[in-house]
Amino acid sequence: MNGGAVLGRIEKIQGEIINSVSKNIFCAEKRNSILLEGEVETYEEVIKAGKLATNRGYKGVINNIKVKGLTLPSRKHPKLIDNKLERKKVDVLIIGGGVIGSAIARELSKWEISILLIDKEDDLAVHASSRNNGMIHPGIDPNPKTKKAYYNVQGNKLYSKVAKELDVSFERCGNIVLYDAWYGKIISPVLKLRARLNGVEGMKYLSKRETKELEPYIYDDFIGSVIFPTTGIVSPYKMTIAFAENAVLNGAEVSLNTAALSIKCEDRKIIYVDTNRGRIFPKIVINAAGVHADEIAEMADDRFFTIHPRKGHILILDKKKGQFLNSIVSKPAINQSKSGTKGGGVTKTIDGNILVGPDAVEQPFKEDYSTNKENIDNIINKHFPILPLISPSDIITYFSGNRAATYEEDFIIEKSEYVKNLIHAAGIQSPGLASAPAIALDIEKMAVEVLSTMMEVKPKEKWNPYRKGIPELFKMSEKERNEYIKKRPDYGIIICRCEEISKGEIVDAINSPIPVNSLDAIKRRVRPGMGRCQGAFCTPSVAKIIEENANKNILEITKKGGESYLVVEETKKGGGAQFGIL
Amino acid sequence: MEFYDVVVLGAGPAGLAAGLSSYEEGANTLIIEREKYPGGILKQCIHDGFGLVEFKERLTGPEYAERFIKMVRNKKIPILTSTFVTSIKKEEEIFILSVVSKDGIIKVGAKAIILANGCRERTSKQIGIHGTRPSGVMTAGLAQYFVNIMGYLPCKKCIILGSGDIGLIMARRLTLEGAKVLGVYEVKNSPSGLTRNIVQCLNDFSIPLYLSKTITKISGDDRVEGVEICDVDENMKPIKGTEKFIECDGVILSVGLIPENEIAESLNVEIDNATKGPYVDQNFMTKVDGIFSCGNALHVNDLVDYVTESGRLAGKSAAKYASSKYKRALNPIEIPLNKFLYAVPQYIDINSDNNKVVMYLRSRDIVKNVKVIIKSRNEILYEKRYTHLNPPEMERIVFDFNRSSLNDYSIKILMQEG
Repeated sequence: MNGGAVLGRIEKIQGEIINSVSKNIFCAEKRNSILLEGEVETYEEVIKAGKLATNRGYKGVINNIKVKGLTLPSRKHPKLIDNKLERKKVDVLIIGGGVIGSAIARELSKWEISILLIDKEDDLAVHASSRNNGMIHPGIDPNPKTKKAYYNVQGNKLYSKVAKELDVSFERCGNIVLYDAWYGKIISPVLKLRARLNGVEGMKYLSKRETKELEPYIYDDFIGSVIFPTTGIVSPYKMTIAFAENAVLNGAEVSLNTAALSIKCEDRKIIYVDTNRGRIFPKIVINAAGVHADEIAEMADDRFFTIHPRKGHILILDKKKGQFLNSIVSKPAINQSKSGTKGGGVTKTIDGNILVGPDAVEQPFKEDYSTNKENIDNIINKHFPILPLISPSDIITYFSGNRAATYEEDFIIEKSEYVKNLIHAAGIQSPGLASAPAIALDIEKMAVEVLSTMMEVKPKEKWNPYRKGIPELFKMSEKERNEYIKKRPDYGIIICRCEEISKGEIVDAINSPIPVNSLDAIKRRVRPGMGRCQGAFCTPSVAKIIEENANKNILEITKKGGESYLVVEETKKGGGAQFGIL
Repeated sequence: MEFYDVVVLGAGPAGLAAGLSSYEEGANTLIIEREKYPGGILKQCIHDGFGLVEFKERLTGPEYAERFIKMVRNKKIPILTSTFVTSIKKEEEIFILSVVSKDGIIKVGAKAIILANGCRERTSKQIGIHGTRPSGVMTAGLAQYFVNIMGYLPCKKCIILGSGDIGLIMARRLTLEGAKVLGVYEVKNSPSGLTRNIVQCLNDFSIPLYLSKTITKISGDDRVEGVEICDVDENMKPIKGTEKFIECDGVILSVGLIPENEIAESLNVEIDNATKGPYVDQNFMTKVDGIFSCGNALHVNDLVDYVTESGRLAGKSAAKYASSKYKRALNPIEIPLNKFLYAVPQYIDINSDNNKVVMYLRSRDIVKNVKVIIKSRNEILYEKRYTHLNPPEMERIVFDFNRSSLNDYSIKILMQEG
């Protein structure tokens, strides 16, 4: 195909794709991006074509190639329809209540502007922001000069401060990358250079003995390690919720169960956004829609990228085994450099569990969080050997998440080049959690800049950067815990025996600044049901507390919003029997 | 700080019996219960069949519990309810418990501790069920709570995975309440529950029992929409090509119980891998002096009557130990694990003046016409012929031993044909 004639850029890419992927793919230019269309046999071909079109001088890849016989489900939307937000005017509309959207809302709440954050789910942090290992990466993995590298390193630095302001437990636990002889020789100079270029501080080589002093329970199958002491650990959902609550306490509004359905533009400007809860008229829109960010861009006729969800699975082990790990330990495989992820390892969470994983699997379904035996078994086989004292019987549960990867594999943090009042915070995959505080600061600047062309934007006189979290009683000294219980006796009634969570903490979650009343939402805030019994004991008690404190009938209480009801109807004698476990 | 001779953790059938017998043996006794009411899991077991051994009557769970609660109350043995033990530390010869309740944190001292914490249910992920995580997947005990205590149906059309007793009981219970139970699926080639429950809960209600089948995948976003069922081979691995989709809105799991021994582990009590409960001697003392174990925390029982018995024996021993500590000499009881799932106790304390051993055991497989023999060197301590032994049905045997003949020799359990 690549004959003597001088072919244009697009023809060249087209040729390569036809040669190595499929004849049924057509390339075209759309504004300054490349558009791929057609139909192929497998999803792997879709990904392969997308990758071939990447970094070829276009702004982005719009990959619309379909797979024969595969219909992708449409975005899941809440069934709820009402007029709560009808004709609402706001200065800033943030679409997406993950850690990015929430952090942006928090930073923007410094200004005298009206902010509305919408999320289609029953809670914040339902997708990728709940579905990761909570690692605050040091910034060594991204290629230098990428946005990822910049925001990762900057975000990591900000964590000590934001976590303190928002009262979220955070620890710089460090992460250890074990290596064998081959790896040590080849990778070591590359790592050193990259640490310097990215600005990663404190990287250090450790001997086997030094490594074992830090992590005495790991296996012996390595010769040394590299430690990144700035690496941290946080609860990703608690962090997200804390950002959003702080925003709300500073006047921002959060509307859950609210999905953006379409966007009306005129003269390259968004006029309104239709949701299932009414038509919103924002001055500017921030796209922080995670795996759906390309669809939101499309609604505004500004699609120049494609999110291809890359799934990761993680296993959670019983806290009993937490004592055998202090930080985050991984041992990279030689052939993983092209898989787009570090390859996972073992992580000690801020709450004391060990997590194992994640892996990375390209698959087309953005909201499919099902697991299968093959992936879970692979993780067990790959990572369990690192800690010889853990075994599959320590697994209490497992879950999966989808990384919002673009073909460019970099973050998109920018004002739209086409739509005047749209800002993208998109393509945010790992290390998005680590980068969030830094991304939010830059988006804040962009938003204020754009808004300033439309209105006067003044800083708030009384912005409060602090937010008080729900007290974690089991972490307290007995003296402090006693004082809390004396003030509020329900802090002394243990509901979740596995995680030692009191009734008072659950009541606090229900009454928190962004009120929630599903089991999972309460779990994200205060952990009942996160332990080894997985809620088999405490579910009815938590339901009862929701009934009492959120003014809900037990029949209306859900696991995770929507129609995920706990019970379906009363028994024959009629429900509501006096049950008094509390 | 308040001091007691004996503190019992848990006011279920084991803890109530333990507290009662400890008190009757003269010990100053306290019972601590994390729930609002005593009775443990019996509170939600409204079916009958409890107490056939203990009272020679068929009682419901709440009735059975009530009898013990009354006895405990009549004796004015204190029970702290809605009270949770956060930690236990041994300081010199005294156990110091940190106890939290709505009144704050208090310290309680005890010479002996009885662990009667019961057990928990194995969950779907612990047996490797895959697919999505919708609402409507729950353990049988949780379903039982919804129906019997709260008065709500958790599903209308469900399948039950696992033929454990609670699963069988719930199959009948859900059917009586108007839900459709499509079937009970068991991965093994024989049922896990008691024969009487197979007959009374499934056969009498025409609920099918499918053996050598399991759930491989759960579907549904908000609520369960269905499951994928597979045949399994002799190693209980799903056979490719046998997948079948069944529409349902609930999955009830009865796939095993695990003794709760987190507190025991924090006290370095050694756990038997076979029972998942502590190793104990004939006095139900664990390998840590002063800590006793009984009921389902010790091993999972199929009849409450035996839970009561082990509690009673543990209570008596703990009271004795609290009144005068003694040095033990533990001889292991040898058991062929290819023939038996387990036997409790696992040790004999040959220094103890108690030479009567109450032993609970389960055979590994269904076997017919066998003899169970307990031997010490060449002396036969016990021998019984069984026409059949069935793993779900626990056997209880009692034997005496002569202390002098035991010195330096362990006791062996044997199973022989004949």
